[in-house]
Amino acid sequence: MDLVQQLLLMLGGVVETLAISIFSLLLGLLIGLPLSFVKVYEKGFRFFVDGFERIFRGIPEIVLMLMFYFGLGMYFQFPFKNAFFTAFFVLGLRSAANQSQIFRGAIRGIGEEQMLAARSLGLSRLRSITSVMVPQVFIFSTPGLGSEYALLVKDSSYAFVIGVLDIMKTTDMIRAATYDFVTPYLAAALLYILLTFPIATWLDTWGSRRKKKLGL
Amino acid sequence: MNTVMECKHLWKTYEPHLVAVKDVSFRINEGEIKLIFGPSGSGKSTFLRCMAMLTIPDKGDVFLRDECLTKPEVDLNRARARIGFVFQHIYLFRHLSALGNVELALRRVLKLSKEESRERALRALREVKMEEWAHHYPAQLSGGQQQRVGIARALARNPDIILLDEPTSALDPELTGEVIDTLRDLAKKGTTMLIVSHEMPFAREIADEMIFYDEGAIVETGPPEQFFTSPQSERAQKFMTRLIKKTKREQDV
Amino acid sequence: MFEFIIEYLPLILDGLILTIEVTLVGIFAGLALGTILAIGDMYGGKAVSTAIRVYVEFFRGSPIIVQLFIFQYALPTLTHIPVNPYVTGFSVFALNSGAYQKGYVKGAMETVFQDQMMAGLSTGMSKLQTIFYVILPQALRIVIPAWSNEFCSLTKSTAALGLIGAMDLTGVGKTIAGQTYRVLETWAFVAIIYLIWITAFTKIADIVYEKKKIPGIEISA
Repeated sequence: MDLVQQLLLMLGGVVETLAISIFSLLLGLLIGLPLSFVKVYEKGFRFFVDGFERIFRGIPEIVLMLMFYFGLGMYFQFPFKNAFFTAFFVLGLRSAANQSQIFRGAIRGIGEEQMLAARSLGLSRLRSITSVMVPQVFIFSTPGLGSEYALLVKDSSYAFVIGVLDIMKTTDMIRAATYDFVTPYLAAALLYILLTFPIATWLDTWGSRRKKKLGL
Repeated sequence: MNTVMECKHLWKTYEPHLVAVKDVSFRINEGEIKLIFGPSGSGKSTFLRCMAMLTIPDKGDVFLRDECLTKPEVDLNRARARIGFVFQHIYLFRHLSALGNVELALRRVLKLSKEESRERALRALREVKMEEWAHHYPAQLSGGQQQRVGIARALARNPDIILLDEPTSALDPELTGEVIDTLRDLAKKGTTMLIVSHEMPFAREIADEMIFYDEGAIVETGPPEQFFTSPQSERAQKFMTRLIKKTKREQDV
Repeated sequence: MFEFIIEYLPLILDGLILTIEVTLVGIFAGLALGTILAIGDMYGGKAVSTAIRVYVEFFRGSPIIVQLFIFQYALPTLTHIPVNPYVTGFSVFALNSGAYQKGYVKGAMETVFQDQMMAGLSTGMSKLQTIFYVILPQALRIVIPAWSNEFCSLTKSTAALGLIGAMDLTGVGKTIAGQTYRVLETWAFVAIIYLIWITAFTKIADIVYEKKKIPGIEISA
């Protein structure tokens, strides 16, 4: 494999890694945001949300991926035999559990008054949440989301075990082809660091600037 | 007369232009109680902290008895052990009980035995009337109680002098009384004290000398009566007038 | 459903023990390392701080799999020192955890730092004494909630050990699944064991925290 082929392969890996990370983050957002509000405002569902979080804090992502891909994949070929989908699904749910916690912290940080004010204007509970709480929750949560994103980029490497062609897998393939045990792995480390560091910092800065503007 | 602490031509500037201590020379002798007062932001706290070498002055010398503290080879820790400092915001060690707070320096700085530290600590707490609360944690004590423990912590090492930086300013008004009573007791016992405060009635009662400090410098010094009847400098006059008006207003309320 | 596992129980136990060992060594060594790094960062001067920063960026910025591979394959190639998967495993997780914990400890120290340092100095203690007797005892208590997150993270990432040939719980699971073809059941069983271990440990940590709590040094959950 010559250098150009290697670089192209790694580029493909970077794209795959980013794809998994971003989609998982979005899935986590889609599920985690409602979950956080449900836990704060609807006491009845507490057990469900707690259970959900406990499962994803308590079982390694690698085990879940192996279980879904090789295990469920035997019976439900449709989504689960696709390695990309399985990785995205597992990480997305894990992220949902994390994000639910992040948003809950933000909701508590913002406090009762905002909801109270919204309700006093006659807005329904749902409206109050979507128009008043959610925007503020986002601004508050940027540091948490930033680190969650960085975490997803790194954890996407777990997809390696089920064969996804992400940064980890492609650099490993290069190692296998070139017998170079050093450069590919160092390159992988560098790529991951480049992907995690700037975005997390940028989100942090954006968040604190926004907060300052709003006097939070 | 035994000079306990002295400073000569002390300077301290905060970048870029804030001069907190402007060429200040000052002396306090054994058994004396001097009180520094003046407008906020004038640098009084900074001056006090420089005297205790908690803030290192830019220029000038500080002396504790005969020892010059501003020389580079000096063992500052040993020197600070001979100075008691009481903070405006108290700063008790939150993870230790009242007793623990007072004991810590006795054990780790004076290297006393466990039993002796405990004994001396309890004695110090007794002096500030906090012995009953020895095993309580700071979070369980009121502001006034915490400050009294702070005073005990400063006292326990039998320091040569006690410096107090606005000991009552951060407390609710009802709680200042207990701290002032404690300081009064200390004064009666002949403790050398240098206090920054604006508790005027208290100052009048126990201070041997009052010092008006403004814009980084000592403007006027004299016995308390001088300030309450006829301050010499214009700035002191203005300050006292404002203060008396304010106190009268508070009393009327 | 799980009867077939019975003959593999000894193997599973061995795997679990390895997982537990790596986790515990990692988290406690990480705490010690993190504390030293935090103190070094606050007091060591520019050169030390920069070195620490590079170290932390590397271990926090790259995935654990990459770190394991570098230590197991790349480093020995460069230094010609052979390593076995177990040494690699213990070292990498300790170093990795240390990098994260440095951040938690430093944050906690900075929260208590300013006023408590001045108070300590005022009683005649040296900077070092103040750090040891006043700041650290408070900082370490503040760190505890972050700690239980670190524990969960660490345990879950130990599953990657199988990739460098160590027989941790996940590695054992792979073997069993490969031999029995009862893939789903095996992984479900392994998942449950991880779940029990993590939940039990966090419960114990909560109890210890309650016992060691000091009024006034609490963190709102």
